[in-house]
Order: sequence, then C-alpha cells, then structure tokens
Amino acid sequence: MRTDSEILHVGIDLGTSRSAISASNGERFVVDSFVGWPADMVAKKVLKRDVLIGHEAVTNRTMLDLHRPLERGLLKEGSEKDVEAVRELLKHLLRLVGVSSNGRIDGSHVRAVVGVPAASLRTNKQYLRNSMKGIVDSLMIVSEPFAVAYGLNALLHTMIIDIGAGTTDFCVMKGRYPGEEDQRTLTVAGDSLDAQLLKLIEERYPQANVTVFMVREWKEKHSFVGEAPKRVLVTAPVKGVPTELDITNEMRAACETLVPPTVETMLDLLSRVEPEFQERVRNNIILSGGGGLIRNLSQTLETALKQVGGGKVTHMQDPVFVGSDGGLALALDAPDSDWEKLTA
Amino acid sequence: MRGGQIDRVKRQLLREAVTDNLDTIRGLPPRSLRTSRRIGHLFLRRAPLVIIPLMLASFAFLSNTGITSTRKPVVIAHSSPARHVEASIATSNAPMLTTDTLEPVSASAFPLSVRRVVLDAGHGGTDPGASSISNVSEKEITLDIEKRLGALLRQNGFEVISTRENDRLIPLRERARLANGSHSDIFVSIHVNSIPHPDNHGVETYYLGPTNDPTLTKLAATENLTSGYALADLRKLLDGVYADVRRDESQRLASAVQLQLFSGLRGVDPGLENWGVKRAPFIVLVATEMPAILAEVGCLSNEREAEMLRSGAYRQQIAQALFHGIHAYASANDAPQKKGT
Repeated sequence: MRTDSEILHVGIDLGTSRSAISASNGERFVVDSFVGWPADMVAKKVLKRDVLIGHEAVTNRTMLDLHRPLERGLLKEGSEKDVEAVRELLKHLLRLVGVSSNGRIDGSHVRAVVGVPAASLRTNKQYLRNSMKGIVDSLMIVSEPFAVAYGLNALLHTMIIDIGAGTTDFCVMKGRYPGEEDQRTLTVAGDSLDAQLLKLIEERYPQANVTVFMVREWKEKHSFVGEAPKRVLVTAPVKGVPTELDITNEMRAACETLVPPTVETMLDLLSRVEPEFQERVRNNIILSGGGGLIRNLSQTLETALKQVGGGKVTHMQDPVFVGSDGGLALALDAPDSDWEKLTA
Repeated sequence: MRGGQIDRVKRQLLREAVTDNLDTIRGLPPRSLRTSRRIGHLFLRRAPLVIIPLMLASFAFLSNTGITSTRKPVVIAHSSPARHVEASIATSNAPMLTTDTLEPVSASAFPLSVRRVVLDAGHGGTDPGASSISNVSEKEITLDIEKRLGALLRQNGFEVISTRENDRLIPLRERARLANGSHSDIFVSIHVNSIPHPDNHGVETYYLGPTNDPTLTKLAATENLTSGYALADLRKLLDGVYADVRRDESQRLASAVQLQLFSGLRGVDPGLENWGVKRAPFIVLVATEMPAILAEVGCLSNEREAEMLRSGAYRQQIAQALFHGIHAYASANDAPQKKGT
C-alpha cells in the first residue's frame, strides 16, 4: 500500500439508506442517505441553512423538501433534485473526513471509489458518473457488492448477499469482475420490509399513530425471523397517549417477507455456478448490509441450503463500513497510472 | 486462497474495474453487449480506410480551410456510429487517437465485406409456424427456400451457414448463438406471413428496432415464442442493441432485400403488395451480433399465394430475389468509393 501524504484516498458506500465513507487518513463516518432543502422561506429562517443532510435532515423533515437520491437502488434520471442530492451527500461525506469544499485537503488530491447499488450501476452508469462530476479529482464507480467482496478478500467462489434498504443485491464472485450474469437485484429489501411492518401494525392497532420512521427504528432494534428471541414491545401514541404495543408477530411476518425471494434467488444463482465450484460457493455465502443483522436470517438461509447439499452463511457483525472499507482498499490498490486516467 | 493467488485475482479484478470505468468515461456500452471482437477484427483489416479519412477530417477541421476529400468517405452525422469507432480503437491496440478528436463517422465508412452469410429458415420441428388451408406449413416453405438460396449464394462465392438443415425445432437463442459463433457477416431469416385479411398478400422485410405498432408487436411475440430467453434478459439485450451501428447496416440490407423481393416477384404475382421495410423486435434480430434481417417472403393466409408457394418454381424465384438483394448489399459494401459521390 502506498502512503502518499499528497493524496487522500477514500472509499464511499453510497447506499439507499445509509452512506459511509472510509478515508486513508483513518477517518470513517456514516450518515443517513437523506438530503433536504428548506421547504420555504420560513423553514430556511428557522433552520438557518441551505441544505441539511443525514440524521439532521430526517429529524427536521417536516420543514424540508426531503430526498433520498437512490431510492429503490436507482438514481432517477431526469430528476435534478436527486442528482443535486447525490452531490450534496458526497460533498458532505468528504467534508466529514476533512476535504474542504473546493475538493482539496491541504492542497492534496482526492481519489474516490464509490460503491453504488448494483442495479443503478447496471442501468445508468453514465448518468451516475456525470452526476458525480467535479467533486473529487479522480473517480471510480463500482457495484456495492463488488466493493464488499474486495474488502473481505472474498473474491473467488463466494456469494455476497447485500440486503440494503432499497435493494437486495446478489453477487457471485468468480475471480473476475462480476458481469450481468453474476449479479441479481431484488427490490424486496429494508424499505419494503418497513412498509409491510407499518401496514401490519396499522391493521392490528388502527388507533395507534405510527410513522415509517418509527417503524424503521424498531426494525433496526428488533428484527428477526423464525422463533422470537423475546417479545417485541414498542411505544407509540394511541389517541395521543404513549402506549406500549406488542408487535412480535408483525415483526416476524414483515421480516419473513424477505426470506422466500432471497432463498429463491440464492438457489437460482447457485445453480448457475459451474458444478465443480458449487459446493465451495455454498460454503462461502456472506450476508452483508443492514438486513444481514436480522436475527436468525443466516440460519434460515442455511436451512434452505440443505435441500441442495448444505452450506454456510456468514453475516457481518458490523456491516456499516464493510462497503466503504472495500472501496478504500480498491482505491489504495489501484495504480497511479490508472487513477490519472479516471479523472472526474 | 493462498496469498499470491489473492493478489493475482485482486490485480485482475482491479484492472477490470478500471477498464469498466474507462469505458463509461468514453461512453461505451457494457462489454457484454458489445460486438467488440468482430468490429475490432474489421478495424484491423480495414484500419487504413478508417484512419486516413479520420486524419483527413481532423486536418480539414483544424486548418478550417474547407478542404474536402475527393473520396468523401467521412460523413458528419450525429448518430451512434461514433461510439463504435471508439469501440474499435479501444479494443484493437491500434494507434491511439484520443476520443476527443473523433468525429462521428457514418457506418458506410466501414466497408463490411460480405463473405459469410447465415441463413435461418424460420420455425421447424414441433413449431410449424403459419399454415394455409391447403395444409402447407411455413416451416417446410422456409426450409426449401433457404436451401435454394444457399445454393445460389454458394455458386456465387459466398460461404453459407444454415441454422437448421432439416425439420427440427431449434430455439431462437440457439440460432443466434450459432450465427454469432460462426463469425458471419450478415444474418438473413426467412419467414412466411399469415395475416387476418385473406384477400391481401405482400412482402415485407424487418430489421431490429422498437415499434409502436401493436400488430407488429403481436407478430414479433408470435415469432419469438420459442426464444429460450427470459423477459428480463430480453430487456437487457434490447437496451444494448437499439443504438448499435449494425442497425444502420441492417436497415440497408433490409432495403436491398425488400427492393429485390418486391420487384422480382411482382412480375409473376401482379397482386403482390409492397409492405416495405419495417422495424420490429424479433429475437433472432436482437441476439445476433451481425447486421440481421427477417424477410416475410409471402402470405399463406392468401389462398392464391399459398398455392403458388407450393410450387418449386415460385420458391426458386423467391430465393433468386433474396439472392439479388443480398448480392446488391454486398456489392455496395465492396465498392465504398462509389458511395457518397
């Protein structure tokens, strides 16, 4: 690895829900992938800011025109606000690791590897690249599961299942840059789970006042499939009175909506691996992304693998920086000569 | 994995990731959808023909004196072919021209010499295609015409590859794979129509492209039945090839064939209508990597024509007409200096 003080290398995981950055100066940050602009003059006066990002944007959402630029894993073409949101998000992440607004850190160059949802890279690679123009000196865009695989050295005969907010990305690593046939994307992911959970809670407690943001927080704390580790009790206002609700069954039902499509896609991709390598891939399945933290999910997938001869599913204990660390590893490994060609 | 192996795989992956990004910067379509090898090949063979006009063009541009080449092989047309000029340069290790200096070049700047032709007799086996009241089925007619056309082409120095030699069902995907693997120059699929109006009959030739016509969509859906492609794969294929350079070539081939089909057959069949050159998303056209057309050479729904299609003599005339069309396209390609003047 190069330790060039003149150059700052960063790996960025631009996610639908959270975005993370890992920099070669040792800094790491994660923010919610929300960008909001004050909705009117009043909001602007109150907030005293032109743009709010991350958690701040979520908490002040009532006063904001709020955007999640990569919702459902895609950067919507033709939406200037979404492009602007991606740019603001990137700039914000870079500021967090010490890059000033003119793209320089103490006069040094910034080289960034940005990991994006596989679906957006497949459909609008060019658009994505243009959207990020001029923010850093050199830019390489890769698919998120590839960055994860690279960071974990899981490059040969492995499968990455990255359950994010907008999409669940599957990627089989065969020792080469993953092509179309090695990757799959499902839109059944964290967001669809939230929507399902919200719907189920509203059905059971019609009087309760619940928002998708509350549901998301509960999910992040209590998600599970199969047998409940303990009852899931949460507090929400019912007719204005904070009330304790038991949402154990709703939580299970919502989380389990992920299982059938995930299993189906996993088995389908496995069946397409060359026969002599199938067993090795089966035993090297890596569950990453926030969804990887759903309790019992890896065991449930392993149970499903039994019908094809059994396998091993490992989930990342701390998935937050896996993607950005992988991006940073890529950034540091890429030779100078390549970086010079990848000007942004 | 051992340490050394990891490093090797990592280096390889990194190189591919960089290449992928450089392709994006240059505005190239995804590698999996490109016909790079073929075009690269052609580029090597015809490198001088491309580089010289390019140099002339940039010289004319830089000096801004309005000098025009007497050969005029470069046509400034703001269309997709330019991307493929870049593709050919990027993949052939040819003398490097930076992409900024490239002007869009008409597809006719690449004189595609036609030597090898894939002939595709529509349907076959358990898929009879259209059939007439008198029980002639499309699959028999197409195979017979294909054989006759193949013979004509061979007599005239072409190499011919057939996607099916006998009455077998071959999935469209398989046909395309065979065609792509054979490194052929053009692909001609032979079909016979059947339409809801028994009084009308005509000939039409298709090349690949999007269509808004619901009847064409329906026709394409019928012909695509035995494709072997999932809908999602199809979508990807379509996205990749609509903007292809070979679309222009396919259109020229389709025009040449349609012209000969109609003028050649009208003499013996005065009621024949000219339905022209059309665009439609037939799978064999989508998945083949060379200029490709699909000719509907007659109409089984018209009783009189169905009767004619039973006769060997009429089929021979159809084969002749197709041959003249292919020949006209090939000769135009072999004589680029005659064009654009």
